[in-house]
Amino acid sequence: MSERHYRAFSFRRINAMTVNTLTELTRLKVFYVLLIFALLLIGSSMFMAQFTFQQEFQILKDVSLGAMSIFTSLLAIVATARLIPQDIEDRTVYTILAKPVPRFEYLLGKIAGVLLLLAISTLVMGAAFLLVLYAREQTVLHATLRHMSGAPREQIDDALRVIRSSALNADIFPGIIIIYLKACLLAALTLFVSTFATTNIFTIVVMAFVYFIGHLQATAREYWLQEHGASWITRVFLAVVALLFPDLQAFNLVDDIVVGTAISLALFFKTAVLGIFYTSIYTLLAAFVFYGKEL
Amino acid sequence: MSDPAVAVRGLTKIFPVPLHRQSIVAVRDLDLRIESGEVYGLLGPNGSGKSTTLKIILGLVSPTHGCTEIFGRDSRLVESREAVGFLPENPYFYKYLTGEETLRFFGRLCGLRGAPLKNRINELLDLVGLTKARKRRLGTYSKGMLQRIGLAQALIHDPRLVVLDEPTAGVDPAGSREIRDLILDLRRRGITVLLSSHLLAQAQEICDHVGILADGVLVREGRLQELIAIENQTEFVIADASTQLINEIESFINRSDAKLIERRKSTTTLERLFLDATKNDEARMTKPE
Repeated sequence: MSERHYRAFSFRRINAMTVNTLTELTRLKVFYVLLIFALLLIGSSMFMAQFTFQQEFQILKDVSLGAMSIFTSLLAIVATARLIPQDIEDRTVYTILAKPVPRFEYLLGKIAGVLLLLAISTLVMGAAFLLVLYAREQTVLHATLRHMSGAPREQIDDALRVIRSSALNADIFPGIIIIYLKACLLAALTLFVSTFATTNIFTIVVMAFVYFIGHLQATAREYWLQEHGASWITRVFLAVVALLFPDLQAFNLVDDIVVGTAISLALFFKTAVLGIFYTSIYTLLAAFVFYGKEL
Repeated sequence: MSDPAVAVRGLTKIFPVPLHRQSIVAVRDLDLRIESGEVYGLLGPNGSGKSTTLKIILGLVSPTHGCTEIFGRDSRLVESREAVGFLPENPYFYKYLTGEETLRFFGRLCGLRGAPLKNRINELLDLVGLTKARKRRLGTYSKGMLQRIGLAQALIHDPRLVVLDEPTAGVDPAGSREIRDLILDLRRRGITVLLSSHLLAQAQEICDHVGILADGVLVREGRLQELIAIENQTEFVIADASTQLINEIESFINRSDAKLIERRKSTTTLERLFLDATKNDEARMTKPE
């Protein structure tokens, strides 16, 4: 046997797993179907009913960012749910883990592949959205210039400034990053569920429940605390629910972006840290369960 | 004395059955010692504990009691697998990868890269006869081809021990013979082979040592030739003997204290007959008009 020094942790092995997972996912038809649906929805928002240019930009942002959020979430769940059960069913997991590959690296490579896929999808959808928004902004700018051809220069500049601030603004970028982090969180949680699930259908069904509970739990919590007071049993119960089901509504910054409310740096960092924290915790939990799993 | 390729001591594996107050004993108090360079056959009917034993040796399943070692290293340690190549039963692999990509992926997992990996891939594709199919996706491979690419991935990091779980299951006789020849080639190169099978005729052709499992218990173990030899009987295989010579031998035996048990024509095997027949058919098909 050729001399190779074994390393307990190897980025090369993780990289091999990551590249393979990304290849696997990009060769799946479902990936392209979801991406095309998302791009069509973003593109079609260009032709939606419009009254004023502010409303038009609001609708465009609302539909596009909403589509990005839903499709990245859907992709995160569908893509991750199949990875481990499929490997076990096809016995590929035996072949991989019978090599000098620690289970933690196997999982890390899998999740890194999904996160990379989500990053590519978010970039493609984000680029399409910005392109559509830019195209509409230019159309409105030219139309305004035509209408105000005889108006004073200051008045024209003011009108153009209002149009520009209603269309492309800096808040869109942190919004897109938060959409990506929410998808990462869902991918990590799906990976965790799939470590003890036997089929990907089970994982997807569980994740559908988690998705809805995650979006409703903040509202339910507020209502419960207002109506029933805050006894310690209630607080413990709500804390357990919050721990098991991440507050996905906290990642919904789209409404603020649509109405033009500036997203503060503190809110962005708080949400981003929450996303990274949840993603890391769920990945660690998945590794813990998978470590003791009998294959 | 050097460490054996595989050492199994007092191995027991019990699988609990959820929601039932019972459990299944897959392997019971198993002891094995497989020396370096031999072909060891773990035989037994379905459900006898062969695959569970292999999975424990490979660290995929943890034992309830006992321990397993690979070249002196506890097989629960990941680094013990540096010396092992494994081919599971009916492997599927990733259908979206080509033969070459599959070997590259497994090579990278074993720390290979660059020119050594490229050379190793070429060498193995040549060894298993898949050079022409290297750019084809595994989804288009036949069962025999999948088995051969599986064997190639098991050998990618040049292991000292190769573990094969039912290596010829579902493969046609020609493919089965190719795999058998590859195993014999591994033995010639000093690689230890541990295989599980319930195809006894094949195991008899290639194994040096065998262990027979039944209901998780090792019921027979030893050198194959010693286990199957019938001590008080002797066989002669004679070519071109006249009827007169055969009759004389027979009457000589009858005059002695020995007893002639059977006199019959030598036969070929059904496998040999099948391979010759299909080979001739192929030749006819390709013969120009």
